[in-house]
Amino acid sequence: MSQATSKPETGLFQATISRFSVRDAGTLIGLIVIMAVFAILVPGFLSERNLLNILQQSSINACLALGMTLVIISGGIDLSVGPTAALSAVLTATLLVIGIPAPVAIAVGLAMGAACGLFNGFMVAIVGLQPFIVTLGTLSTFRALALIYTGGNPVLGIPDDFRAIFNGSIFGVPTPVVIVGLVAFVAWAVLKKTPFGEYLLAVGGNEEAAHIAGVPIARTKIAAYAISGTLAALAAMILIGRLGAAEPILGNLWELDAIAAAAIGGASLMGGKGSVVGTILGAIILGAMRNGLTLMNVQSFYQLLATGLIILAAMLIDRATRGRE
Amino acid sequence: MTVSRLAFDGVTKSFGPLQVLKGVSFDVAPGEVHGLLGENGAGKSTLLKILSGVFKPTDGRVLIDGRPIDAHGPVSARRAGIAMIHQELQQVPRLTVAQNMFLGRPLTRFGVIVDHREQESLAAQALKVIDPHIDPAAPIGSLKVAQRQIVEIARALLEDAKIIAMDEPTSSLTPSEFDRLAEIILDLSGRGVSVVYVSHKMEEIFRICTRSSVMRDGSLVGLVKMSETDQKTVVQMMVGRELSQQVHTSFATEQVVLEARNVSSDKVRDVSLTLHRGEVLGVAGLVGAGRTELLRLLAGADERSTGEVFIDGESVALRSPREAIASGIGLVPEERKREGIVPLRSVQNNIVLASMSRFAPRGIINGGRLKSISAVTLKETGLRPFAPEREIRRFSGGNQQKAIISRWLAAETRIFLFDEPTRGIDVGAKAEIYALIEKLAKEGKSVIVVSSELPEIIRLSDRVLVMREGRLAAELIGDEITEHAIAASAIPQSTVNDAAEEAAIVTNTSL
Repeated sequence: MSQATSKPETGLFQATISRFSVRDAGTLIGLIVIMAVFAILVPGFLSERNLLNILQQSSINACLALGMTLVIISGGIDLSVGPTAALSAVLTATLLVIGIPAPVAIAVGLAMGAACGLFNGFMVAIVGLQPFIVTLGTLSTFRALALIYTGGNPVLGIPDDFRAIFNGSIFGVPTPVVIVGLVAFVAWAVLKKTPFGEYLLAVGGNEEAAHIAGVPIARTKIAAYAISGTLAALAAMILIGRLGAAEPILGNLWELDAIAAAAIGGASLMGGKGSVVGTILGAIILGAMRNGLTLMNVQSFYQLLATGLIILAAMLIDRATRGRE
Repeated sequence: MTVSRLAFDGVTKSFGPLQVLKGVSFDVAPGEVHGLLGENGAGKSTLLKILSGVFKPTDGRVLIDGRPIDAHGPVSARRAGIAMIHQELQQVPRLTVAQNMFLGRPLTRFGVIVDHREQESLAAQALKVIDPHIDPAAPIGSLKVAQRQIVEIARALLEDAKIIAMDEPTSSLTPSEFDRLAEIILDLSGRGVSVVYVSHKMEEIFRICTRSSVMRDGSLVGLVKMSETDQKTVVQMMVGRELSQQVHTSFATEQVVLEARNVSSDKVRDVSLTLHRGEVLGVAGLVGAGRTELLRLLAGADERSTGEVFIDGESVALRSPREAIASGIGLVPEERKREGIVPLRSVQNNIVLASMSRFAPRGIINGGRLKSISAVTLKETGLRPFAPEREIRRFSGGNQQKAIISRWLAAETRIFLFDEPTRGIDVGAKAEIYALIEKLAKEGKSVIVVSSELPEIIRLSDRVLVMREGRLAAELIGDEITEHAIAASAIPQSTVNDAAEEAAIVTNTSL
C-alpha cells in the first residue's frame, strides 16, 4: 500500500522495462564476465571458431531449456526430458535405418516427444498429480521403454542424408545453432505476444486467480509439457545427427542442465516467472564454462564443481538484487 | 484506578506519507474487558499489530504496568505478557492441541526430545480452567473453530499472558458459541487478565466490555463507558459523517437477466433467485452460510449438483469460469491475493486474462489495444496511481480491487458478482467501490453483492436475500431491509441443534 503511494510516477518506465529485462541484463553481464575470464586464461577462446563451437555445444541444452522454461513458468517441472529424447532418438533412428525418408522419421520422432509431453501434461493437469512426481515416474518409464525397444543396444548406421541436415552450416553458422535460434525466437514471441504466453505466466503466477479469470488452466499446462517433450525430441535429432547413432541411454541428466540454464536465466521454480532470453544466456554460460575449462585441460570433476557454483552464485545474486518478494 | 495494565501513549504509525495511526492514547485497567471499535481501515488492526510487536510505532509508546516496552518484536511482546488471538487462527491443523499450544517453544527432555506427555498434561491443566472437554492429544484440525479459539486462549494462559487481544473472534462463531466465549472472557477478567476485544458487532461489545475506544481514520474519536452510552451513539462515532451520505438509489428494471432454479452444490442447498437488469442484489448471512459458494456456483467455479441457471431466458451450463465469462458473468472474489490477482504481472496484464479474444484477435496480442482498452477501463474505475504497467502487487487492496473490476469491464461483463467487495480496503477506497457498484447498476449491469457488513448490504442493495445454512432464509425488499430483519433471518433458529452438535463433538473428542 505504502509503496504504491510513495513511489513517484516517474519510476513507471523503469518499472515496465525492469523486472525481466533488468534480470536478463544481469545474466548477460554474468556471461560477459565469464567470457572475459576465459579470454585472459585461454588463448584463442574468443576466436570465431571457438565461439561457434560454444554455441554449437550449448545448442542441445538450450533447446531443452527453452521447453523447460515454459514448463517452469507454468509452475511445473519436467524431469523426463532426457528419456523423452532417448525414446524419440531410437524411434527415429530405427525408422531411418529401415529406409524411411528423413523428413518422415523426424516428424515421427518429434511426434513421439510431443506424445510423451502430452502424457506428462495429462497426468499433471487432468489427473492432478504433482509435476515433480509425474515426471520422475516418466523419467524411469520412458527410459525403460527406450531400453526395452532397443534391447539396450545402440541403433547404428544412421544414413548420411539425415546426418547432413544437422552437421551442415548456413552462412558459416552450424545448423543446430540456427535451428535452436529459430526455436528461441518463436518461444520468445509465444511468451511475450500470444494469449498462450500470457496464460502461462498467469497459471504459474496464481493458478486460482487465473482460473477465476477464465484462463484455460489444463490446456495451458498440457501445452507447456507437450512443447517441452517436442523440444526434447528435437534435441535428440540434433544429437543423433552429430553422432550417427542413437543410444537408448542418451540424454542422461539432461534435465538438470536444462533446469540450471532456466534458473540462471531467471526462471522461478515457484512458477509465474521466467525469460526466454535469460534461458538462452544461461545455456551459453554453462556451455562457455565447460568449453573454457576443457580447453584449460581442467579435470571434469572441477567442471562439475564450477557448474554447481555458477548456479548457486546466480541464485545468490538474484536474491541479493531483488530483495525479498 | 492505580497504574493501568496497558497504556497506549500517543501512538502514531506512518507508512511512507500515509499516516494510519494519529496519536492514539488510551489505557486498559487490570481485568478490564476493553472494546476496540471502528470500521475497516480505521486503524484497529495496525494498533493490534503494534501491541503484538509486528509493527514498531513511528512515534509514541506502549506501556505495560507503567513500563514502556522498549524492544519491539513479537517475541518481546510475548515476554511482556501480551497474547494475540488472530481472526485467522494460526495453528497447524495436523498437530495435536498440545503441540499447537507449545508451538515454537516445545518442552524437551535433555534439550532435544520433545516431551509430549509433559506438554499434554500442562495443556490439559490450562484447558481445564476454560473447557475441560477438549482433548490435548486430539489433532487440532478435528476441532470446531470455536474450540480452536479456546485452545488459543488456553495457550495464552499457559504463557501467563496479562493482556489478551482478540481480533474479531466471533466472525465464524454461532450465537451459542459466542455465549460460551463471553463466559470465558468474563472469567479471564475475574482472574485479572485484561482483554482487548476488537469487533464491529455492537451487541457483543455492549455485552462483555466495560469500556470501549472508538477509532476512525486512524484517530481515537471517543472513549466510552458501555453503561453510559447506547449502540446508536457508538455507531455514529464510528462512522462519523459518512452516515448521512448513505442514500440509496435504485436502477433496477423489470427485465430478468439471470435466473437460478433450485441450484445446489456442496454448501448451497436448493437456492432459487432472479436478478434483474440494473439491480443490486445483496446476499447476507453468517460466515459459512453458503454465500461465497453461491457466487462461485454462478461464476462456474464450483460444480453445480442440481438445478438450472438461465441467462436472458436461456439455460447455461456454467461448467467453468471460462463458460460463465462467455455468458457475461464475472466474479470479484473475496480473497484478492489468492483468487484475484496474478501478483507479478502488471495491472494491464491482469486485465487482459479474461477477454483474450478482444486483445488478440488474430492469435497475437495487440499491444496498442492492450494499452488502450485497459486504460479506458482503469480510468473508469479510477486506478491510483494511474500506472497500468506496474506490477499489480505494488498497489493497495482498493486499487487491486479496481483492477479486477476493470478486468470485467474489459470483458464486457453484464453480471458482476462481488464477494465482500470492501474486505481489507481502507475507508476512502471503500466509498469509491460503492460508487462504482452504483455506477454499474446505473449503466444497466446487474450486480450481486455478498457482504458480512450489514451497513454495506443495506447501503448498496435494492433487494436482499438472506442465506442460512446453505438455503435462502428470507427475501427483503425496500423498507424491510434493516439490520434487525437481516440478523433475525440469518441466525439459525434452532439453538437446540447447536447444543446437540456441541454434545456430539464433546463425545468425539473425549474418545
